[in-house]
Amino acid sequence: MHKIPLFKALHHDRWVRPYLRKYRWTLILAISLGILTFVCAGGLMFTAGYLISKCATMPFNILLVYVPIVLTRAFGIFRPVFKYCERITSHNWVLKMTSDFRKKLYNSLEQDAVFFNSKYRIGDILGLLSEDVAHIQNLYLRTIFPMLVAAGLYVIIVIGLGVLTPLMGLLLAILFGLIIIGIPVWSVLVNGQRQDDEKQATNRLYADLTDNVLGITDWIFAGRSAEYLGRRKNDEQQLRKSQHALHSFNYFRDFLLQMMILLVVIALVIWSSWRFGHHWGANWIAAFVLAVFPLDEALAGLPNAAQQTNTYVDSLERLNSLPAVPKDNEQLDVVHAPFQLQLTNVKFAYPHTKNVILNGLSLTIHSGEKLAILGRSGAGKSTLVSLLRGDRQPNSGSVLLNDVPTSEFGDQISNYIGIVHQQPYLFNTSVLNNVRIGNEQATEGQVWSVLQRVGLAEKIHQLPDGLNTKVGEAGLGFSGGEQHRLSLARILLKNVPIVILDEPTVGLDPITEQQVIDTFMKELKDKTLIWVTHHLQGIDQMDQVIFLENGQVDLAGSPAQLAKNSKRYRMLRAADEGLIE
Amino acid sequence: MIDRLLFTLPESKKIMVKLVGLYVLQAFLILGQALGLAMLLTNLWQGHPLASQWQWLLLFAGCFTARHLTNWLEQARLDSYARHCADQLRQQLLKRLFTLGPVLINREGTGNMVTLALDGISEVETYINLLFSKFVSMMVIPILLLIVCLYLDWVSGLVMLAIYPLIILFMIILGYAAKAKADRQYANFQMLSNHFIDSLRGIDTLKYFGISKQYSKSIFRSSEQFRRSTMSVIRVAMLSTFALDFFTTLAIAILAVFLGLRLIDGHLLLFPALAILILAPEYFMPIRNFANDYHATLNGKNSFHAVYRILKMAEPQRPQVQLHSWLPNDQLKLTGVSYQYPSGSQLKPLNLTLTGYQKVGIIGMSGAGKTTLINLLAGFLAPTAGQFNVQGTMTNSMNISDWQQQILYIPQHPYIFEDTLRNNIAFYTPDVSDRQVEKAVHVVGLDNLVATLPAGLSTVIGQGHRPLSGGQAQRIALARAFLDQKRKIMILDEPTAHLDIETELELKERMLPLMKDRLVLLATHRLHWLNQMDHVIVLNHGRLVEQGDYQTLLEQNGYLTKLIRQMRGGRLDA
Repeated sequence: MHKIPLFKALHHDRWVRPYLRKYRWTLILAISLGILTFVCAGGLMFTAGYLISKCATMPFNILLVYVPIVLTRAFGIFRPVFKYCERITSHNWVLKMTSDFRKKLYNSLEQDAVFFNSKYRIGDILGLLSEDVAHIQNLYLRTIFPMLVAAGLYVIIVIGLGVLTPLMGLLLAILFGLIIIGIPVWSVLVNGQRQDDEKQATNRLYADLTDNVLGITDWIFAGRSAEYLGRRKNDEQQLRKSQHALHSFNYFRDFLLQMMILLVVIALVIWSSWRFGHHWGANWIAAFVLAVFPLDEALAGLPNAAQQTNTYVDSLERLNSLPAVPKDNEQLDVVHAPFQLQLTNVKFAYPHTKNVILNGLSLTIHSGEKLAILGRSGAGKSTLVSLLRGDRQPNSGSVLLNDVPTSEFGDQISNYIGIVHQQPYLFNTSVLNNVRIGNEQATEGQVWSVLQRVGLAEKIHQLPDGLNTKVGEAGLGFSGGEQHRLSLARILLKNVPIVILDEPTVGLDPITEQQVIDTFMKELKDKTLIWVTHHLQGIDQMDQVIFLENGQVDLAGSPAQLAKNSKRYRMLRAADEGLIE
Repeated sequence: MIDRLLFTLPESKKIMVKLVGLYVLQAFLILGQALGLAMLLTNLWQGHPLASQWQWLLLFAGCFTARHLTNWLEQARLDSYARHCADQLRQQLLKRLFTLGPVLINREGTGNMVTLALDGISEVETYINLLFSKFVSMMVIPILLLIVCLYLDWVSGLVMLAIYPLIILFMIILGYAAKAKADRQYANFQMLSNHFIDSLRGIDTLKYFGISKQYSKSIFRSSEQFRRSTMSVIRVAMLSTFALDFFTTLAIAILAVFLGLRLIDGHLLLFPALAILILAPEYFMPIRNFANDYHATLNGKNSFHAVYRILKMAEPQRPQVQLHSWLPNDQLKLTGVSYQYPSGSQLKPLNLTLTGYQKVGIIGMSGAGKTTLINLLAGFLAPTAGQFNVQGTMTNSMNISDWQQQILYIPQHPYIFEDTLRNNIAFYTPDVSDRQVEKAVHVVGLDNLVATLPAGLSTVIGQGHRPLSGGQAQRIALARAFLDQKRKIMILDEPTAHLDIETELELKERMLPLMKDRLVLLATHRLHWLNQMDHVIVLNHGRLVEQGDYQTLLEQNGYLTKLIRQMRGGRLDA
């Protein structure tokens, strides 16, 4: 059993088994309906075969065939009805579980939410994860479900015939056992490696094509397009080879399965002619033989269904490797104004790396102070921000907000520290909801007031649905500058005492940038402001400027002091304003 | 019902003919199988011992086996045909993609194009495979079976004939109903299914505002809402399958009862009755298969049409202009060149002369038209109106092979391939020696990076590997420029604005020597570059408002002066 990848993946599973248990009654209902569908399908041919044979004896009274007539009609009507109900039930069941899945997936990712983008957006794992949920749906609908239905039929057939003739029951137990279990398992084992190869080749081709389409300008300019296309053709041929082997096996296997069904039919012919041939029971021969054919529909797809499980294993493993959701142990620290952030001898290196990012950094940020942080990429600016918010803990030293380590606040930190990012995220919902992220209880009046303050009120007023216009609809696009304004509106609504601006203006042209900075400075003038920036635009409005280098503060002072004392600062300043030669 | 586009595939007629032949054969085998079994059952019913009936059993078993053998043959044949067609389409599509290049990518999106070329074409393969086989079998098999049934018992044959159009009618009616319902639900649908991804993408924002935990409930709620609306669509959509099922199964039940009653009356014998009962499911099988796979093929159909749309797109005109390597006294003149976007924004007609190894700065606010001008000059876009005169030859667009082979294009975020650092650096000059690559590394200041990489120049970088900073990516682009001295035209689109100021200045120092002896076009809003430019072009709202050398423009005290004042936050000189 442990050769079958799915069973291995299911061993420590948290994503499939719990839900099979949770929704077991719906599952049992759906499977019963599935079994009934095939019972009716077989029953229809069974009674029809009996009816016709019986009628051929020309009974003198039609009442003698009354029961088979009614049964034939009933089976004919109920088969499609059961099938319809089964499909509705099973889809509903799967979608119900999907709701649970999504919630679970969300909760699992929520723990690491702050680092979500850096961690999960690479290679679009996000897309993969949401596809995984779809895969699990298919695992249920296309594999687990038909398998269970077939197993149910198996039991019914074997017991039913076993009661009539134990030996025949045994023979069919073996034949159907091969069809329902033998061939599918064989198929999984033989094709597992091929499917793996196919999947890997496909993924490789995918990654390769994406990579090169992103760099298409370079291929064209370098005049090397033909070279790439040629190289690619070779890779594709390899994929084709493994696909070809896979398909050839499948055709052979399907043929073999049909031969097994032929054996079942012949066995039934022999058995029924022996059992019923010599007396008045001859009418049963056609009944038993014809009842086999409708089962083909339930059986023919099983090997493919089983084989599909190989492709779900990755999804299962990926989902199961996500962190489990821990119990909540939120600490409710409450601190009061005035707020002071105190960093003392902070050292930080990322786990499993030697590169020390912050090396004994000490810094005090007083209530209401405006601090600008500059430094090269990799100097530790972003790390410093995550330490300030308590999303990371220093290896040594301390980061305190009014004497409480910031990492101890948990989600409560959002009541004290707000953050505006390089690329603020706008949710695909109304403007109103987007602003209310800051405070879900805010009235529309309050929302309008903050929109007014950030200079977006006029734009929103002109929209057909005003505040209720969806972002991205009705031509409502927000330019870079406007996105930052909206992000500021959220912060204003949240009304936190400390605001961190994490390089919010990268990518804006200088004039827009200056305007955004002016608005930020004006609206946040009563708050503590920590502004991480990559150049010196608007720096004069700050109280204090520090340059980070080699994990320490390299240069510090007010803009005026630095302009007076530091040659380096003067040089950078001049460059920023285009005044150097 | 069948897609005409399928007939544009190579050898589609030939494969159709072959398939028709195979299905006629298969129909005869089905008949042999059914009649053999009916005869066997009739004789057994009459009390003949099985031992005397082996020839009928053999006929049944033989036809059954042969039928599945032809099925195997047909699938394998069709498989290789579909594979062949798909490979060809993919090749054509990729070739198209790598000719049309960024213009096509910008319009269709990278993700869409990649998905279309891989998943899309695979779906087309399935589509070709399924549609040919299901369609032909539906056209051939029922007809032959019906003829035999009519011969066996014309009354039953007529019933079977009559029910066919009924099935199709109901499927169409219910299909439309489901579609209308699905369309109505679609907006709602889309929103709900996006809600989940949307929440995940914004999960850090939610966390920053301390509401990420309670949002989990909202996920569940909207997913449940999604389930309810999906189910209401599914309930209707599955009705059409239900109708098909209902009619075919009920038809068999009715036939059975009907045959039974006529047997009692002695109008019929057992053999034809059993034969019809066995043939009836086979008669309905092809249309059921067709209907079952129909939805599965819809994606394939859409992809097939999408691929065709792109293949049919007009090749951009490539002016056949011969150019020599750019020399110090060569000229590029633009006369009345303009560009109009479908969205309405435009670059208004401009005149411009670029000479020799000039360094030209293009400045303006975002949306002023800097990138459009760059794209026109690089030949990515063909102007809506106007003419270029390059090295004395008139042309409508700069999409000239000899021109593009001289261009070094450095965008804000140079693309780094998932390949070794060495191959990335030598992308434009794959044949250079390692020594030269090492020299390039030194010249652009990548020594530190190379030292920290585990395998030095052979380390694989790019997507999914160690991330490079913006400055490092820029340096790789510069190394490419250093290695390719033959390329005399350097086009830079905002190369430093996203970098921190110190990195920016360092890079600028490395860039300036590479600009020597080249025609340089640099779009930027970083003012410090202007000091190094020979010629400055100022754009405002799609119009060229000023041009000339920097000092002269400053003295003019025009739009550029105003722009600079605004950029410095209101101060002209600090």
